[in-house]
Amino acid sequence: MADEKKKTINRLKSMYPLRAKVNETYLKSVEAIQAGKPAVWAMLNFYYGDPVLKAMDVEVVYPENYGAIAAAMGVAREYLDRADAEGFPTHLCGYSLTTLGYASRMMKELKGQIPPEAPLGGMPKPLFLMSSAAICDARYKWFQALGRYMDAPVWPLEAPIPGIKEFFIEGYYGRMVKLGVKHLRDFVAFVEKMVGKKMDWDKLDKTANLMIEVNRVWHEINELRKVNPCPMHSRDFWSAMPAALFLAGDLEDSLRLYQDMYKEVKDRVNSHIGAVPNEKYRLVFAELPPWHSLSFFDKLAERGWNFVIESFGYHPPIPLDLSKVSDPLERITKFSLQFLVGYYEDARKQNVLGGTSAYPYLKYAKEWKCDGAILHPLISCRSASTHLPYVSDMLMEKLKVPSLSIEGDIVDLRLFNPEDALAKAEPFEESMEHYRKVRKQEGLDW
Amino acid sequence: MSDKSKGLNKAREIYSNNSQRARELKAAGKKIIGYPCVYVPLELLTALDLVPYRTCGDIKEPVTEADRALPHSFCPIMRNCLDCALKGKNDFLDGMVTIHSCDPQEKTARIWESYTNYPYFHFIDMPVTVRPEALEYFKSQLNDFRKTLEAFTGKKLPKDKLEAAIKSYNQQRTLVRELYELTKPSPPRISGTEIVQVVKALTSLPVSEGNDLLTEVIGEVKSRTDVPEKKLTRLLIWSSTLDDADIMQVFEDKANVVMNESCGGIRAYRAAVKSTYDPLEGLASYYLNEITCARTFRQATPGETGKDYARDLQSRFGYLKGIIRDWKISGAVMLLVRYCDPFAFEMPSLKDYFDSIGVPSTYIEYDYTTGALAPLRTRAEAFLETISQ
Ligand code: SF4
Ligand code: SF4
Repeated sequence: MADEKKKTINRLKSMYPLRAKVNETYLKSVEAIQAGKPAVWAMLNFYYGDPVLKAMDVEVVYPENYGAIAAAMGVAREYLDRADAEGFPTHLCGYSLTTLGYASRMMKELKGQIPPEAPLGGMPKPLFLMSSAAICDARYKWFQALGRYMDAPVWPLEAPIPGIKEFFIEGYYGRMVKLGVKHLRDFVAFVEKMVGKKMDWDKLDKTANLMIEVNRVWHEINELRKVNPCPMHSRDFWSAMPAALFLAGDLEDSLRLYQDMYKEVKDRVNSHIGAVPNEKYRLVFAELPPWHSLSFFDKLAERGWNFVIESFGYHPPIPLDLSKVSDPLERITKFSLQFLVGYYEDARKQNVLGGTSAYPYLKYAKEWKCDGAILHPLISCRSASTHLPYVSDMLMEKLKVPSLSIEGDIVDLRLFNPEDALAKAEPFEESMEHYRKVRKQEGLDW
Repeated sequence: MSDKSKGLNKAREIYSNNSQRARELKAAGKKIIGYPCVYVPLELLTALDLVPYRTCGDIKEPVTEADRALPHSFCPIMRNCLDCALKGKNDFLDGMVTIHSCDPQEKTARIWESYTNYPYFHFIDMPVTVRPEALEYFKSQLNDFRKTLEAFTGKKLPKDKLEAAIKSYNQQRTLVRELYELTKPSPPRISGTEIVQVVKALTSLPVSEGNDLLTEVIGEVKSRTDVPEKKLTRLLIWSSTLDDADIMQVFEDKANVVMNESCGGIRAYRAAVKSTYDPLEGLASYYLNEITCARTFRQATPGETGKDYARDLQSRFGYLKGIIRDWKISGAVMLLVRYCDPFAFEMPSLKDYFDSIGVPSTYIEYDYTTGALAPLRTRAEAFLETISQ
């Protein structure tokens, strides 16, 4: 507990009930599943499929998250070794290998029983799998590969990724929407068949609206972080995000809790209260945080480092008025598309055409007035790492913001070395100081 | 048959200096458009009198320039392709067409567009399933591609020209299949290494010149007396890309590679574009459905509500059965380019499939550098030894 006392990040009080709700939901879901309620395995899908599953009242587990839990609890190794023995190349996404090893143990060795060593109640055999084409190839190929162990069918959700320039070709957006709506309609029919009941369309309508509103409030909270000193640290962001990103928990509860959080952050803004005592440096963090070493941020906070914005892949879409869209599937599709294309207009104007997942960092650094960026490339998650050299290059070229790259991994946690990283803090501060001057000379306003 | 300007010799020449013809055409006033992946519908380029040129990597070229733009743990083929581009090796290009065939292709496209400055650059998005709505979306992507090409060339694309281009490419597909007929005898009349050279030459030439070359090669191979030496094993290599003769030679020292199921071999030529009232319909269907790359999610029945593993394997790999029978394959190598996720996830299942039809197989990984050749040789020889016992 001595370590607890040293914590210098001024955490938001409103984060705790929100986080508690997320945890409680998880445990309830485990209980429901253990009591025999069917479960679905799903990939993080950027909102396309989640509201459908939620409206159908099915329990959802996310093997990507479970991979992180298994790594943190020290049981991933056994599953990784099994996946290796089964012939899966070891350079594949660490979370996918963890799940494949887990499925092999559960289905081949334990005849469908949850492995006794599995943390947090384990993942039961699913009724079906919902994969997603968003972000990386692993997300749908991994679930397809699970067919080797389980007879559960897979629905791969399409997720178009337009080029920035191409997106502005006449009619493009409409065609993406058409694809999304038709695809979701068929997905609903598939879920109906699997679950054995009809969709309650009013419930879906309400779920979609709540999802959009929760994410709007969540977005507004993050907008408040632009002020100096920044009232909310990335750690609070990461703790609070599952309710908006995975729709974890009851959405009405989540809405109320995010509204409470908005009030608290707003109060801090009005009273000039920062998330770290003496904010000296404002930073952006990309992409997945080192979940197991989050206290590393406390050490940096002692040096006056405030992480004011982070992880584009976890941020809510830029709000879009969808109140006049009557079909809930169209509303969901447009909301999901907005996650990516919400940045395109700006990116095109600034001619950052390579930036589907890199451009947001330019926007963040500029609007949240960042002095530096910490980049966290992950050996076995390529999709969270590929754009980072480009992000670093663009931040320097366009905004004179320096980056520090600290390597890590999603399953081999030893790869992230907090001591090493902390040793780089001082020289990086010099760099941030230097580029402050350069930015001034170049007429940039921070 | 030592005429250097014909047949296999010519193919070898073009393979070794594959940008030469494109440079000549450029000097003669043609516009050259690069493409990194066989999913790009070249028919549209050809129909507008543009010359397609596949921007390949070069295993002999150490990657240096791409380091600033892409991490090390990333598809080495795409890193290598981008590196060549950043070093100005494709400086004759008037444009690039990229496509979302896999995640590294998509990511590299963004970087490529940012770090280069061609007069034309286009990205085609591609769905992952073969569902009807996905096909419709893909067709609309091809229509957008058409529009941007029309704007670039300042010309409208007449239907008959597109149909003629489809016909030429279908003829090329037929000719490549005919060439592969010549690996059926034992010993094969043409080696896998020679085919790699021919196929790479095709991707560096306008379609009509490629078809002439193929006709010459087929004629020469049919009547040659110096056929490859007969080896103990008739191999099938299944890979994402196997486009390098040195890599192929590693296997051919001890085996006859009679089938290269990769996009440096037969993959882009196995089927044909169907004739449809709207030619884009036929093109969309061919490119999304018929090219058997692991990037596409296939299942026994789209939207199936149950899963049967044997049927699943059949829907993903069933096409290999006929090849194995007709080419009398006695061993299969699943050759994986490191960090290639779409193919890597297939490995155990494809092995299951090969086991189910009684074909010995192995999985070998490499990283698309010359340094990979020696370990590749050791692995290949070990496998060949095991199956010859
Ligand atoms: S590669 Fe990364 S983003 Fe993709 S499934 Fe794995 S952890 Fe998730
Ligand atoms: S399919 Fe594989 S080898 Fe080909 S570009 Fe994609 S990742 Fe690279």
